Amino acid sequence: MTSLQQVLAKGEFAVTAEVAPPKGTDTAEMMENAEFLRGKVHAINVTDQQSSVMRLGSLASCRLLKESGFEPVFQLTTRDRNRIALQSDLLSAYALGIENVLCLTGDYVTLGDHPQAKPVFDLDSVSLLMTANRLKEGYDHVGNKLQGRPSFLLGAVVTPGYEPMDLQLLKMQRKVTAGAQFFQTQAVYDPELFRGFMEEAKELGVPVMLGLVLLKSAGMARYMNKNVSGVKVPDSIITEMEETSDKVATSIKITARIIRETREMCQGIHLMTMGWERYVPAILTEVGISI
Amino acid sequence: MIGQTQKPLEEILGYLQGKEKVVLVGCGGCATVFHTGGEPEVKEMADTLSKHGKNILATVAPPFGEFTCYAPWSKERLSKYRQEIKECDAILMLSCGDGLQVVRELIIEEEFGLQKPIYPATNPIGHMGGGPSLFKEKCQQCGECELGRLAGICPFTQCPKGFLNGPCGGVTKDGKCEVDPERDCAWVMIYERLKAFGEFDRLREMREPKDWSKMQRPRKIEVAPLSLE
Repeated sequence: MTSLQQVLAKGEFAVTAEVAPPKGTDTAEMMENAEFLRGKVHAINVTDQQSSVMRLGSLASCRLLKESGFEPVFQLTTRDRNRIALQSDLLSAYALGIENVLCLTGDYVTLGDHPQAKPVFDLDSVSLLMTANRLKEGYDHVGNKLQGRPSFLLGAVVTPGYEPMDLQLLKMQRKVTAGAQFFQTQAVYDPELFRGFMEEAKELGVPVMLGLVLLKSAGMARYMNKNVSGVKVPDSIITEMEETSDKVATSIKITARIIRETREMCQGIHLMTMGWERYVPAILTEVGISI
Repeated sequence: MIGQTQKPLEEILGYLQGKEKVVLVGCGGCATVFHTGGEPEVKEMADTLSKHGKNILATVAPPFGEFTCYAPWSKERLSKYRQEIKECDAILMLSCGDGLQVVRELIIEEEFGLQKPIYPATNPIGHMGGGPSLFKEKCQQCGECELGRLAGICPFTQCPKGFLNGPCGGVTKDGKCEVDPERDCAWVMIYERLKAFGEFDRLREMREPKDWSKMQRPRKIEVAPLSLE
């Protein structure tokens, strides 16, 4: 059982953050960023060519983190691999000691740096969970028996700010039926919106970790509002970022405040740091969370 | 119908480099509707190629309704031009790729016993319906139609990611797709229709992922010949 799984099973507040693999083979910066998180989080998500930008693989990066004593969460998207490759990568992950998997569909290829690429999407997030769950039961997607079966903690994502809400909840429920054991959410900056979402989502009985992207500037917040579906940074927060002379301190303050206000509503926090891994300890100190 | 656009003239002239005597073949089906190979386009192409020094031995422009991809019709029409086809250096097809390959394989090669260079003048862009001016791709001929449980909307075609399990996170606030903000999210449309019919719960049913083997190409089918008498 992974430590993330143990924490969630015990009902304790889980903490995860993320690192992004480099574009290239120099992993020094990624490993330095992970170092800021040592002893501060239960697990570290490793993004899978996020925003459809070609990078070093999530699987290899997870293994490097594991070798350095971290617990990784392998983010796996269906954008670039068919069901044969996805299952093979899941088995490979387990053989390399990686047991937390976050199953995603992934962004469309035209949003990234290889818009000419052929998009795969043989499976989607729901059918990937279904397939990963079958591997856990000892069978492949079509029912062939496996020689040695993996034991994964399967995660999925959900967007609390998505409208219509009942359609998002339907998708969430399908993910649970397919085998999702925890959720990390898309970024939410409005505790009241999150409360409304959690009142519905808690019925599913699966732990939910609130997702937060660390705001680096007012411009970044506006950009997300305009371009990232389901994300709404309230105007008051944008103003706070705009008026501050210390963006880092204000970002830490805002993040800590949202965690404090939502902590009782959910089972954990997932910090999407985007290079600001170094500020995670300060945020956690501010809210008094230590693992 | 098969949506199509005309290829750039430079590309067509490139194919015809060194080929003097040319036969043009249009199509009375889709290529007529999309203005890529109907009678006016065949005539216009003949004029253009003449100006570029080509000797146009024949212009074959079937009337509206006569599909070039339907071999019995093409066989009958092209038989009238057998001599010109025999003499020509190249055939230019103002049709989709089906029309071109039916003519190449079933008429020129099998029926006439000839080997002739044959080139396309169009770029087919998908099976689509609509008209008279706007056409949209709605069906991918997946071999296992899901429209019956999805409110008559195919997410496999309408959604860039081909989702069969509900929407992705990339839906904008007004129900559009993040890949193309002009496009309505297929799943929001399915949701709204099923909700209006009181059938929202049908979406709770879990399904196996798409069986792509039904789209293994090239597909074929044999049917009883249509009687056109």
